[in-house]
Amino acid sequence: MSDFTTTIGLEVHCQLLTQAKMFCHCSTDYIGKEPNTLVCPVCLGLPGSLPVLNQKVVELALRAALALHCQILPQGVFHRKNYFYPDLPKGYQISQYDLPIGVDGFLEFYSRGVKKKVRIKRVHIEEDAGKLIHEGVFLPPGTSGVDCNRCGIPLAEVVTEPELSSPEEARDCLMMLRNIVCYLGVSDGNMEEGSLRCDANISLSSSSLLGVKVEVKNMNSFRSVYRALSYEVERQRKLLEEGKPIFQETRHWDEVKGVTVSARGKEGAEDYRYFPDPDLLPFSIKGEMIEEIKSELPELPLQREERFMTEYELSQGEAEILVQDKEIADFFEDTLRDFNEPRMVCNWITTEVFKNLKELGIDISQASITPAHLAELLKMVDKKEISGTIAKSVLEEMFATGARAREVITRRGISFISDEKELENIVREVIEKNPQSVADYLSGKEKALQFLIGQVMKETRGQADPELTKSILIKVLSSEE
Amino acid sequence: MREVISLQELKRIAQVSKLELSEEELQGFFEDINNVVSRFEKLNDLDLQDISPTSHLSWSEPPFSSDEPRAGEGGEEVLKGAPQVANGYFVVPRVVDKEEKENEDRRV
Repeated sequence: MSDFTTTIGLEVHCQLLTQAKMFCHCSTDYIGKEPNTLVCPVCLGLPGSLPVLNQKVVELALRAALALHCQILPQGVFHRKNYFYPDLPKGYQISQYDLPIGVDGFLEFYSRGVKKKVRIKRVHIEEDAGKLIHEGVFLPPGTSGVDCNRCGIPLAEVVTEPELSSPEEARDCLMMLRNIVCYLGVSDGNMEEGSLRCDANISLSSSSLLGVKVEVKNMNSFRSVYRALSYEVERQRKLLEEGKPIFQETRHWDEVKGVTVSARGKEGAEDYRYFPDPDLLPFSIKGEMIEEIKSELPELPLQREERFMTEYELSQGEAEILVQDKEIADFFEDTLRDFNEPRMVCNWITTEVFKNLKELGIDISQASITPAHLAELLKMVDKKEISGTIAKSVLEEMFATGARAREVITRRGISFISDEKELENIVREVIEKNPQSVADYLSGKEKALQFLIGQVMKETRGQADPELTKSILIKVLSSEE
Repeated sequence: MREVISLQELKRIAQVSKLELSEEELQGFFEDINNVVSRFEKLNDLDLQDISPTSHLSWSEPPFSSDEPRAGEGGEEVLKGAPQVANGYFVVPRVVDKEEKENEDRRV
């Protein structure tokens, strides 16, 4: 089997978190709204209407471009990207061409525990198109329905250089990019709802020259980015090995079938005839604005991840899981304020807290438990007032009812039995009831000890201190010999 | 007439503009467009060596708008002028085949 190098570049669209659309005052809150209710002459492209740029769009895009270490161009120009499609009422999309917001940046991320860096070619702003529906009992046969609510919603497009070398790296890079825009408050980064969309260019080559580039579209989750690109690697590898040509084309990912499909009949469509939009004047980006936004940039996910590694001595993997969701990372640090045991807090969050969130199907922001409440519970575990097992079930109830740890414990009559005398009595009872296991243990069967510990736990409904139980058992058993 | 735009190019322009032209129309446009475009050729006589491209003639700063949503003018009013409407949607002839439909959204 020959060796091929895989080269991947990403084009990522992020819906910018503005209240109003890019060039008019229509609301951007379109999800679940009746079709064509959030529209006006500007976003419908009616004759005589004129676009006026929403300042917030520039600010948000600048924030993203600066966080991606881009060089900011002093002047922005809008171009018309012309194509005919029913979801584009004007017949062109207002976009940027040779003068985007930012160029020549870079993005750092971890992939398989190794730090990687990909250069960012450009960050530009453009408007979104409307939505087409092709099915619906109310639609006459052979027709489609057009909903223009999404027309004119602002997007930032981030384009990386083709420098990613595997589907896994592409996914990890995208995850970091998503994290960055979420941390910045630039986009909500929701791939399922389409506020973050990713297209990829991928080529395979056996020499130092780049191979033929295939564009893959329609990947709606991190997982589908990984799956679609893995599929493309295999497809192209097979073709190359069989000496067959790879066509430069656009392919769509079919999530259900798990394949990419050629988007046929698009030849000739890629002629956008860009030209400067005469309706929109070039806008300048002033130095003070750049400085102001720069000074307001928050700590970004990678910085935070690395700070967690040094400050709290977490592994890269642990730190990554925590920072992937800003709210979780905040929750972690807030918990530490009351209970400064980073590793233990990290373990509890990434196992028990995650488990409860998943079971309830909610985000941490929707959970009734607070960092202070978790800290309170973990302190009790740490002081051996309750066992880990009990704490887990207490936590479950805290999630379900919003009660605090002490309330749950008092109500259930739980206390941690760490009183040696009391425990010894229970141990003696258990020994008396299980002569066979005692004999087994004394004849050298270590497993019997575990069974006896289990019996003590059963007697005490899990409230015994396991370490103490073990030592008392050994002590009492050795006196039986 | 000087041929600045070939017949081939003209056909492609018609294609991306979704125009169906007869041979006769093509021939007519071929001559007209070349006549017009060849006049612009005159501009090539200018020496533009040290001049950067100008996209606009105004040097003033554009106005910006604030990020405040207002109620749209949607609903019945916008649908009034449409040739065909169903359930609040503008109805248009289907331009994709069935297999492509899943993929056609979010195409920007």
